[in-house]
Formats: sequence, C-alpha cells, structure tokens
Amino acid sequence: MAVVLYLEKNLTKIEVSQIEEKLKRSSLVAKIQFISSTQALEKFQIKFPELQGIIENFKINPFPPSFETAIRKNSLSSDEIQNFIQEMRNMDGIEDVQFNWDWVEKMKSLSRLVKAVGFFLGGILILASFFIISNVIKLNVFARKEEMEILRLVGATNTFIKIPFLIEGIILGILGGLLSLILLFLLIKIFPFYLGTSLGVLQELINFRYLSLAQTAMFISGGAIIGFLGSFSSLARFLKG
Amino acid sequence: MIELYHIWKQYQKPDWALSDITLHVEKGDFYFITGPSGSGKTTLLKIIFRELFPTQGQIIIDGRNILRIPDHKIYKLRRTMGIVFQDFRLLFHKRVFDNVSVVLQVVGIPRKDIRRRVFNALRMVNLHHKMWEYPSHLSYGEQQRVAIARAVVNNPKIILADEPTGNLDTELAFEIIGLFKEINKQGATVIIGTHDRELIRHFGNKILFLYKGKFIRKEAL
Repeated sequence: MAVVLYLEKNLTKIEVSQIEEKLKRSSLVAKIQFISSTQALEKFQIKFPELQGIIENFKINPFPPSFETAIRKNSLSSDEIQNFIQEMRNMDGIEDVQFNWDWVEKMKSLSRLVKAVGFFLGGILILASFFIISNVIKLNVFARKEEMEILRLVGATNTFIKIPFLIEGIILGILGGLLSLILLFLLIKIFPFYLGTSLGVLQELINFRYLSLAQTAMFISGGAIIGFLGSFSSLARFLKG
Repeated sequence: MIELYHIWKQYQKPDWALSDITLHVEKGDFYFITGPSGSGKTTLLKIIFRELFPTQGQIIIDGRNILRIPDHKIYKLRRTMGIVFQDFRLLFHKRVFDNVSVVLQVVGIPRKDIRRRVFNALRMVNLHHKMWEYPSHLSYGEQQRVAIARAVVNNPKIILADEPTGNLDTELAFEIIGLFKEINKQGATVIIGTHDRELIRHFGNKILFLYKGKFIRKEAL
C-alpha cells in the first residue's frame, strides 16, 4: 500500500532531505522514493502520451515533487497509519498526502467481519473438540472400568489411575492442534493459487501469512489444555475425590 | 488388629447376607472362615477390605474405623492388605509380570527392586517361568497363583483370601496354604475363606463357621 506525499514547490535540497530523514525514521515506512518535478512530468508523458498537448501549453512544470512511500504490510490494519498520515499532513513542506481512505476503511470493516466470524466459528469448534475429546476419554474409561477398579483395590491413588487418561487427553489435543496447523498451512498454500488470478489487486491487500511462532505455540498448547480439560471432566464422573 | 462389631449386611429385603457378626482378629492370627456357598464368606471379606459397606455395624482395623475413611484415601487401607479375589481380577491385557508388579508400582517402589520382588513372588507360587505370558494363556489354577503372588508381593500386614485354592489340586493347595502360613509366621494376619474341609483339617486352628450369614460356631483347635 502506497502513500504519496506531495511536497511544496521551491523547497531547498536540505528541506527535502530533512523530510526524507523523518520518513526513514518511521517504523511504518518500508520504502521511500523521491520523485522530482521533472521525473513526475516524464512519468506523466509516458503514461498519457495522448495528453501531450495539454502539457505543452503550460509554461512551467505543474507537477510538484513528491515522496512515494510503501507502508509495511503488517501494519496495514492498525490505527498507526492514521496517526502517521495526520503527522505527515502537519509537517512543514508537505502540501498534501494522498492515501486511499475508502479502501482502508472498507478493508478494516471487512477484516472486522472476518474476525468476528472467525471467533464465532472458533468458539463452536473449541466447544465441539472439548466434547469430542471428553467423549472419547469417557468411552475409554468405560472400556477400562474394570482395570481401574482393580487398581483401586490394590491400593492405587486416584491420581495414579487418572494420569494415563489425562496424558491421553493432552496428546489428543496436541495432535488435533498439529493436524489443524497442517491443514491451515495447506490452505494458505493452495488458496491464493486457486484465487490468485481472480483476486487481482486484492491479492496485494489480502495478506496470506502463516501463524507466527508464538501463535503456533498458543495453538498447540490450547489444544493440550482442551484435551486435558476434556479428559478431566469425563474422569471426574467416574472417580470421586 | 481387625475388629468387627455387629455387622449386618442386606443386599435385598428381606434376606440378610450377614447377621450380627462380631469378630476380633488379633495381629498374627490365622483364620479360616468356612461354610457352604452363599453363607456370606465373600461378603464378609469384601466388607473387611471395604469393597462393600455393611448395612449396619462398625469395623475397626489397626485402631481406625474404616467405614469413615473417605473414598480418596481408601488406598492407604488397601496398601496394608493383600487380597486374593475369588474371581482373581487379573488384568488380562497385561503380562503376568505386570499384573504382580502393579501393586509395587502404585506405592512407588524402584523398578530394579520391583523386578526382583516380582520374580521372588512368582517363584513362590512356582510361576516364575511364565512371567512374560498373558493371563489368558494360563490355566485357571495358574491364574489363581498369579493372583496369590500379587497379594503377597508387597509383604502386606493383612492377607485376605477368598477361596484361594478353589481350582488347585490338593498338593498345590497345601503348598499355597503353606506359603500363607509362612507369611503369617513373619507377622502377617491371614484370613482365608474356603469350603475345603481337607484344608481346614490339615491347617486350621482358628475356624469360623458361617451358615446363612450367621456365625454358628467358633473353633480354636
């Protein structure tokens, strides 16, 4: 996503480089390119050769010099950009900042919607996996009821009896987490491949990226916790105390 | 050691499985409980290791009222006992070794010691050569001996055995009771439920006769 900063005409070289310095210091800016008035004119002439006549009527070059900046992709959805733009607008030597607000707002509300749907589906799936694991363990407990009874009769504590089932639940949860990560990985690989051409410009905006390491760890430990709770709740009914 | 006070047990009205049983077993005693089937031998033993609760009455073991022990602490009582169940209660998907070692595992004995003690227990019942087999590959009598090895492996203070020789030939039965006698000499209290008259004649000194849930005779030979 690009932000174009149009500079006032007649800025000295020092003033221009001061603005450039400031832009470089911002963590949001990934790339900066200075376009002088002459370069802007040349660009225009190449892009719109049929408007050559209009340009020739001007005595002076009407194009202001500008900075074309590329914003880092991962900061696209944040409010930081708004602040950044505001800051740039207020900066001395900058005449105007061009940035497609509509798009950002639309993308934002779309991403909010996707998030909400994601949370909703995620919640349902978490509940579903909780009950599935707890039922699997329940069946297992039921099948091994006699063994548990024997263990109790020879002096095993409830904890001793429970531990294998709890471990089983945790392993099931972790495996579930890993499996879904693999599916997610494949989906991210395949989805843009199928939709790539039809997405067009959108592909630039919809940024398919893998979960970060921390997110992956959270995902898997979340699975483990659901597995643990699932088996814990089903054991509680069989072993009191 | 084991004191039973006016124990009554009813499974179904109006029959009483046990009626007013009072019994004091001293430390180091060797008791036989005998009587025809259905006389209440198994019920009485099950009440002593608290698999069953009596309908009425109190049981004191080692100075503790075992009926008041909460469920999650009952393991402490069970660890002082070696129990031979009438139906053996073996883990059929585990090898003979694991069936016996589980008693030591639950109390946290080191692996190295477990191996030695399980081997010794199995040698006592003459089954050490079948240590790595599954119970389902063993004969009925052999399964019973596994159950006996499991009951004695942790040197319990109390041994409760419900028909421990029910499926064994006389010679082996005598050997097993001899084994219990041996453990008894080392200080364990032993209570054996059996209907084997031969055995009682040979070994019995303290005998309780049960009939329809009542003690009809106590005998100390």
